Amino acid sequence: MKVGRRSFLSFIIGGAAGTAITPLPWKLMDDASIWSQNWPWTPVPPDGEYSYVNSVCTLCPGGCGISVRKVDDRVVKIEGMKGYPVNAGGICVLGLSGHQLLYSPTRVKSPLKRVGKRGEGKWEKISWDEAISEVAKKLSEIRSKGESHSVGSIVNADSGTIPNLFKRFLTAYGSPNFMTMPSMQDSYKMTLQLMQGVNAQAGFDAENADFILSFGSGIIDGWGSPVRMFKANSTWKANGKKVVQIEPRLSNTAAKSDKWIPIKPGTEAALALGLANVIITNSQHSQKISQSSGFESFKKLVQNEYSTDKVSQITGIDSASIVSLAKTFASASKPLAICGRGQGSTPGSLNEFMAVHALNALVGNINEQGGVWAVPEVDYIKWPEVNLDETATNGVQKERVDGAGSEYPHAKSLLNRLAEVVNSGDGSLEALFVTGANPLYSMPDSKAMKKAFDSIPFVVSFSSYMDETASNSDLILPNHVCLERYEDVPTTAGLQKNIIGLTRPVVKPQFSTKNVGDTIMLIAKALGGSIAEAFPWDSYEACLKETLGAKWDVLVENGFWSDSNSKTVSGEFNFYPKAMESLSNFSPVSLEGSTASYPLVLIPYDSIRLANGYIGDPPFVIKAVEDTVLNGKAACVEVNPKTGKELGLTEGRYASLHTPRGKAKVKVHLYEGIMPGIIALPRGLGHTAYDKYLAGKGCNFNELIGPAEDPVSGLDAAWGIRARLTKV
Amino acid sequence: MDSALIPKGLKRCSIGKFYLGIALVGAVVLWGVYAMLLVWIKGLNQTNMNDSYGFALWIWADLGIIALGGGAFFTGFLRYIIGKDELKNIINYAVVIGFVCYASAQLILGIDVGQPLRGWFIFWHANVHSMLTEVAFCLTCYFGVLVIEYIPLLLENRQIDKVPFFHNLGHNMHEIMAIFAATGAFLSFFHQGSLGGVAGVLYGRPFAVREGLFIWPWTFFLFTWSAAAFGPCFTLFVTRLTEKITGKKLVKQNVIDLLAKIAGWMMGTYIIAKIIDTWYWATVTAPSKGFTFMDFYSDNSFYGIWILIAEIVVGGIIPALILLSPKGRSNSTALFTAVSLACIGVLINRWVMVLQVMAHPVMTFENWFLYVPSWQEVATTILPVAGGIIVIALSYRYLPIFPQEKELNP
Amino acid sequence: MKEEGKHNKKAKKYGMVINLDNCTGCGACMVACMAENNVPFKEDESDKLDSITWMRVYKLANGESYPDADICYLPRPCMHCEGYHGHSPCVSVCPAVATDYNHDTGIVSQIYTRCFGCRYCMGACPYHARYFNWWDPVWPEGMTKYLSPNVSARMRGIVEKCSFCFHRHQLAMDKAFLEGRTELEENEYQTSCTQACPAGAITFGDLNNPHHKVNQMVKPDNKHGGRPGDPNAFRLLERLGTNPKVYYISSKEWVRRAGDNYLANEDRTVQQH
Repeated sequence: MKVGRRSFLSFIIGGAAGTAITPLPWKLMDDASIWSQNWPWTPVPPDGEYSYVNSVCTLCPGGCGISVRKVDDRVVKIEGMKGYPVNAGGICVLGLSGHQLLYSPTRVKSPLKRVGKRGEGKWEKISWDEAISEVAKKLSEIRSKGESHSVGSIVNADSGTIPNLFKRFLTAYGSPNFMTMPSMQDSYKMTLQLMQGVNAQAGFDAENADFILSFGSGIIDGWGSPVRMFKANSTWKANGKKVVQIEPRLSNTAAKSDKWIPIKPGTEAALALGLANVIITNSQHSQKISQSSGFESFKKLVQNEYSTDKVSQITGIDSASIVSLAKTFASASKPLAICGRGQGSTPGSLNEFMAVHALNALVGNINEQGGVWAVPEVDYIKWPEVNLDETATNGVQKERVDGAGSEYPHAKSLLNRLAEVVNSGDGSLEALFVTGANPLYSMPDSKAMKKAFDSIPFVVSFSSYMDETASNSDLILPNHVCLERYEDVPTTAGLQKNIIGLTRPVVKPQFSTKNVGDTIMLIAKALGGSIAEAFPWDSYEACLKETLGAKWDVLVENGFWSDSNSKTVSGEFNFYPKAMESLSNFSPVSLEGSTASYPLVLIPYDSIRLANGYIGDPPFVIKAVEDTVLNGKAACVEVNPKTGKELGLTEGRYASLHTPRGKAKVKVHLYEGIMPGIIALPRGLGHTAYDKYLAGKGCNFNELIGPAEDPVSGLDAAWGIRARLTKV
Repeated sequence: MDSALIPKGLKRCSIGKFYLGIALVGAVVLWGVYAMLLVWIKGLNQTNMNDSYGFALWIWADLGIIALGGGAFFTGFLRYIIGKDELKNIINYAVVIGFVCYASAQLILGIDVGQPLRGWFIFWHANVHSMLTEVAFCLTCYFGVLVIEYIPLLLENRQIDKVPFFHNLGHNMHEIMAIFAATGAFLSFFHQGSLGGVAGVLYGRPFAVREGLFIWPWTFFLFTWSAAAFGPCFTLFVTRLTEKITGKKLVKQNVIDLLAKIAGWMMGTYIIAKIIDTWYWATVTAPSKGFTFMDFYSDNSFYGIWILIAEIVVGGIIPALILLSPKGRSNSTALFTAVSLACIGVLINRWVMVLQVMAHPVMTFENWFLYVPSWQEVATTILPVAGGIIVIALSYRYLPIFPQEKELNP
Repeated sequence: MKEEGKHNKKAKKYGMVINLDNCTGCGACMVACMAENNVPFKEDESDKLDSITWMRVYKLANGESYPDADICYLPRPCMHCEGYHGHSPCVSVCPAVATDYNHDTGIVSQIYTRCFGCRYCMGACPYHARYFNWWDPVWPEGMTKYLSPNVSARMRGIVEKCSFCFHRHQLAMDKAFLEGRTELEENEYQTSCTQACPAGAITFGDLNNPHHKVNQMVKPDNKHGGRPGDPNAFRLLERLGTNPKVYYISSKEWVRRAGDNYLANEDRTVQQH
């Protein structure tokens, strides 16, 4: 057939027109757009059966009840548990992101044994049996050499069954070196011990107070149990209660307070004593306190040494403000003074705590409604005494490596001293267990800590995540995350009531992990003898049930157990000689570094959007961090515009920050809310471990600061360090 | 070698020289195509746009080239509707330029949308309230008209014209061109206007928003008007540029003069209207929303009052005055300066109506948002320009675009 | 645009009241929103102009120098503007009806599968409440497990924004329907951010319903574009005529003034009423 040009054209045009009226092109067009709606790399979450499981969050010491929404066996959302006595339905950014940690790629998915150099990141997967026998072998060796006291453990807290299992393990094994992560609670405990002669936690009846005088406590920046404090803050607002915030930086707490009084950092104790002087001079103090022992010498001390003018000079607060603050504080019906800087993650100066506690005592609000309560520790752990064999008996009597109980008789644990003691050769450890803590990140002078770790031959981490400490260990025996495990959570963070929460498995374990309680028991059993006998339980769950006894059913039913009546340890407040001696010798904690080479003062600040403890920020939380805190890969240092001008630094530019302990490249954020001459860095950045969402962002404040031993407590009293900021 | 394709009696440069030039421009096209593929495959993260700059360089380029391409509809309108017969000597070129501009706009839009495969939703799920819907419909229809206007030109190629079918087709199409020109003019009035409406209706953006007539904000009318004023300038600009490159006079001075004069009048009246609009906006509209005039031109490192002066005085009043004076029109340099300034002026107008709108902070606690386009954005914006150069060059070489060329270059 | 609800006397006007005095800037609302709505995240989210945060907490400063400086946090969800008769700034410009004003609930929806990514709505929104998916959403290995089936994951190249957790409304309505009800109780439909806020700063409900807390808190005057009756209440950029449904309460005048633009000599309270 001959195809002419004309017929060919007709064919083409006719064909095109014909195709156009068929469904084909339209169908193809539609398919193309549907395809773009279901790009295979855009996930389609599967539907399933919905359910809620109540549990307790362990991501910080706050101990909030959570209500976990599930679809089949997947966690899809974490919400605050309604009616839970701590948080009453509220929740914080970290708790909300718990499911990101559950499914995080940074989780340690099975026991790992280091194969490369330490910290190199080369691991070999091993079985649980191998892992347990590896630890047991090493510990047997050490023990057989009679070095059992050279094994230590670092645990997040000292209450609850898990810390107590570790304590018990060390005791049975023969070591006194049970160390905990420090916090302001250590200083508060010691204060209650020295001023009331009691062994108790400090609890704050914040909701019932009507005038809150905060010496730098980040009431809404994560101090105490964060969500509970947020709620208390809202209650104060609703009822017209007043908050006065004393700190050199306009923190969120300062901004939301009724009055922000900037103070030269480190002089808070002097202010507290100055306020005490005004109160005593005006006879606004309680009758009871004037009869307490040592009151006269306290009176003499504050009248002689802390006259308003002198305090004004020390603190930089004008005299009139001091007098009027003292008056309003003392005339409030339920005044409450609190301390512990920021989130209270460092213990601070003992004198400061005692001075503030004295203020509370002066206005008579100790163990009173709206005041500070000496809360007894919940005593539900009543395990039989451990039968010590000879090695253990010898071992536990040895001096602790950190000097707690010996050099510093009141201290129970002084982790802040570990690095120095080990690095200077005054003490050594053969093996170290770390659980629920990340000391290589969160201890001051983390580089020195790392050096100390390097000299410990055997480091075992029980971390669920590949954090800084885990990645510098020899063996990782990963714990379940809190959504996978049982654990009792006695809440200690400043609550005025004993509350135990129950963390329970919400989903089945995602990886080959084990509850650390089971792991430590398995190690004990592998060691045999009296050590194994100290752990008569079949499993951690059995241990927990037995320990909690009747409380177990309540916990399973309600998710928490709380004392029906608030209990306090009655211990009369007195100005005991030991406390008075300390207060008389008070001088502000001196800062490391010389003024000449380091003209500025660097202080840390805490943000609820930056987790700075064991857990680092999950992706959602780091996403919520402002660009004036973290900008690209750089942390922002807050500088007063006046200081910035003197240094020639403008907003957003890079600068080099030097302290006697380290240096960092930072970005400048000019902030009118910070005292000239002071600069502030956020805590919680600068991780080297975890995932790409967190690692390598900003700098770790702890690399820039070193610990300063409090002369009485031995705890870390450092609140800042001298620094230099220069243009890059 | 390709002499058989070149219109009879016209001189063209050597094929080697021509294709060397095309190859050079073609390299730029390839660069643009590479950027375009990057954007299509990897997505709009290849740009420097962000959530404060949803509209940026591309939308400016679209608005700009459509304003510059306005020469096609307005010259057609003058030639076929008003009956300015002399303009038949430049209308072909205006159509080619218009075709290039509108094809470019469509291409850029195709790159600009986040889901190009769903582009047709704008027709299928059309929202009649949206200015963009109006733009899409009119723009597409008008592009169709331009294609229809361009086809008879193509058919005039010596070899194609030999085919009786195409010869007759071309002839018949020429006969009815007035209808298409009228349709085109009608469509253009709307889409040029609705492009103006795109910014003018943004009542959340005090820098852009204008009061208006019925559903149309004043920018609607200003944009149509400015396209009619500045589009012919671009036609003249390209014509003059072509003459410079080819070294030949292609259009008689009286034709140029006529178009320039009309453009001058349009521009003069437009600029008066624009000044009144700006004045009213600065003294009534903006203050009613809590802004002073200078709020829009201060506190940032780029958008100063200079940009308004550049747009209105340098790119409006000055070229209008030159074009309105017979002396200015007859002086080749002055004319070229005037049309160049005019093109810059209208491009600045489109720039501020897109980018300054996005840059100006509306919430009191935000700062100015400044933006620098990524190379991918620049490359894809240059892509249609380079492509346009090739289309124009090929059209010039192989089609009898300029009816007066033979006469002027014996 | 659907107009069914226009003459429906029972039409709801869901809105939010945020007490800025209580807001601590903790960011729980932001994260609760991300978790509820399958919001993706990427390696660097510090460029806030390219960071999808349906709910974003802004930090406002009073502009004074130390020690008179003051700051205030301001959470900004989508305002669900009613504009004039539902012609909110974004809805009226969307060329493909991918965003719509629901006259029954007052909620501005976003239809992800309809949106073709022209971003005109983003240009129209003065609150920067609209976010574009510049990137493919990518979750690290294993993390897709936590995605909620109630909200679809968005694909690259489209716009998304706060929906007032509209899926929660649907779930609550489904439940009510099964129980033979057509009306919801106030607490049956609450957004994720409202529920999470540890400071109780966010209140959510039907602004048209005098029994709902939101109505009682700000006393909106519907005859005058919903302007608040409470002198401490304000809305963002009210003067533009966007008629937003998110109200703020602050006891500080500088904060209230920061909510809108005023000429130097203007009195805020006079301009507002």
